[in-house]
Amino acid sequence: MKLNFFLRKKDVSLESEEDYEKKHHKASNRPKETWKEKHTGISFSMISYISWKNLKVGRARSILTIGGVALGIGIITFLLSIGFGMQQMIVSEVTKDNPIDVIDINNGNLDNFVSLNEDVVGKIKNIDGVKKIERRVNTGGKIILGESQTDVIIYGATVEYLDMLRVKYQDNGGNFSNDGDSALISDRLANLLGFGNPYEAIGKKIVYNIALSKDVSSKLDTEKVTENNEITISGIVNKSDNTYIYLPSKMLEDKFGVDSAQEGKVVVSDMTKFDNVKQQLEQMGFVTSSIAELIAGINSFFSTVRIFLVIFGVIIMSISAMGMLNTLSVSLLQRTKEVGIMKALGTKRFDVFKMFILESIIISFVGGVLGFFGGYGLALFVNKLLIILGKRMGTDLGYFVYVPTGFILAIAGFVLFLGIITGVMPAFRASKIHALEALRYE
Amino acid sequence: MDKTIDQIDEKEKRILKMNEAPSQSAKGKKTSEFFPEFEHHSQKDIVVGVKDIEKTFVLGTNKVDILKGVNFEIKRGEFVMLMGPSGCGKSTLLHIVYGLEAPTNGTIFVEDEDIWAHSKNWRAYFRNQYIGFIPQQAFWIKSLSVIENVAVPGFIGGRGYRESIERAYKTLEIVGMKDWAHYRPFDLSGGQQQKVAFARSLLLNPKFIIADEPTGNLDQKSGVQLMDLIKEFNESLNITVLMVTHNPDQISYASRIVRMVDGKILSDTTDKEQINIIKNEA
Repeated sequence: MKLNFFLRKKDVSLESEEDYEKKHHKASNRPKETWKEKHTGISFSMISYISWKNLKVGRARSILTIGGVALGIGIITFLLSIGFGMQQMIVSEVTKDNPIDVIDINNGNLDNFVSLNEDVVGKIKNIDGVKKIERRVNTGGKIILGESQTDVIIYGATVEYLDMLRVKYQDNGGNFSNDGDSALISDRLANLLGFGNPYEAIGKKIVYNIALSKDVSSKLDTEKVTENNEITISGIVNKSDNTYIYLPSKMLEDKFGVDSAQEGKVVVSDMTKFDNVKQQLEQMGFVTSSIAELIAGINSFFSTVRIFLVIFGVIIMSISAMGMLNTLSVSLLQRTKEVGIMKALGTKRFDVFKMFILESIIISFVGGVLGFFGGYGLALFVNKLLIILGKRMGTDLGYFVYVPTGFILAIAGFVLFLGIITGVMPAFRASKIHALEALRYE
Repeated sequence: MDKTIDQIDEKEKRILKMNEAPSQSAKGKKTSEFFPEFEHHSQKDIVVGVKDIEKTFVLGTNKVDILKGVNFEIKRGEFVMLMGPSGCGKSTLLHIVYGLEAPTNGTIFVEDEDIWAHSKNWRAYFRNQYIGFIPQQAFWIKSLSVIENVAVPGFIGGRGYRESIERAYKTLEIVGMKDWAHYRPFDLSGGQQQKVAFARSLLLNPKFIIADEPTGNLDQKSGVQLMDLIKEFNESLNITVLMVTHNPDQISYASRIVRMVDGKILSDTTDKEQINIIKNEA
């Protein structure tokens, strides 16, 4: 490609040089050496040294240009580190009480009602990728203690189910067990039963009525209520938002013939099979939900936000890049004679190219490093400030600034790319400067 | 109005100091003390061979013949002065010999190498390693100090910083400029700058020095100092010098005068009497 467009043409003799060289070389029988054989050129360390010194000559201009890059990178880092941090905080909050490898199922689909009985549990366990399944019976009832009585939700579950649900309860020594016949009640229920301190209810006997239907027991044709059953409270579920009681599912089966549940939790052994397991559960008629879907939604939202931030960043960096290009072009104009004398003294074209591109990379890199730490530092400062303000207002704000390693690598790559892309044209123009052209240049 | 000594700024003081100080050159010392390798120059007699050189510039639709078949040879150790009116083609010839400008026709041998039969990078390497160059106006890398500028040919040739700086210090010492090593080049006077440019041309022990009106921008005293230095190196180290000049006062430094007119050689003499006649005519 003819790129003489970039070269200032003052006399035509410069153009004929290569033609003469070719013609003359053809006429002589001398083997044509290549520069690789002899001219090693300026060492990289010397090129770096000269480039660095050149930047120090136009100190104010260099500082302003580096400042422009630093500002751009700083703003991007500030916004994205908060974006990443927010995302991480929300995802962490969501997954705190909900394992990501669990699919929740329920038979709430009235058009295709499926009882979660032993047979169905066996079929689910046989699905490839299923590690285990735990069920929960969900029915209604009434609790009576002396003069107090209240409607409650009655759950039948195993200890494993409660663990998967991450239910926090205090049972004074682990009395609630799969084979036992004691109950956990919510602290709210304990309050309703008259216990100002919910833990005072532990060890107390209560009477409960339980409503049973064919949904939970295959032996029943119609609904019935079994009354005046007695049970001891063995533990309290803390920070509950409802009035409920947990009974061991085995006890419900033994005592009332409860052999089916309405909902369950399926643990997936391999996340790559997650979608497949979910699909098969849905084909069996269950309605499924999982925290993974919620997280995917959150991630999708933040990805969209990031795209806008990146577009914003690209606009800012384009302005910085134009500043860099301007600086390098002015620097090139001011140093035409320098380049000329260097070429006259034997500098290779490629060494001149390297010198200018390195200057551009230094500007970009120094700006990038300063911008990154500046932006990250500012984000941490704002975070800290909000934590302090939050504490004063009674809100417990956590840290929401986070920079993933990938982002650091991306910034490093971007900064390098910026240096090369803005430096390539001035560097190419510098490398094309003819020694004589430069020495004559006024 | 004349300034008192207190009114002179630092830069002017440095320039005055330079002009008043006697040249701290190689006088009284053998330059080979600094560069023993200078003793081992090639013994080939012919340093430059110029054969049938023609150069035509195309300006728009016009062709201008600058050189019209120039032939001459330069022997080792000669101090050749290329003289002639402006536009006669002497600077173009100099640039062709230095490998910066291609001839339209003809062949140039320097140190037995047909320099235009090689690649551009080869010529760059050749210039760097074998030819010293003193331009009319010294050009500098602004960001570097005097000593670093002198060391630039070493950097270009791939030598390390320390080695190049050590050599630069030696060359500055023999041209009497070592005290200015850590100044910026533009802090020096024109004469000082040309001395430093001469030191730069000596860095890699050239066998051949090309000078394009090196005293053109200097006052008489500085010009004489520089010419003394060049002559001294020419004689004591047998360095061949090809110099373009307009100044007839410098003719006496030459061992040979080549006069050009209208792209051709008018006269070429090594005869002392002839040289004196040319000087008197000028």
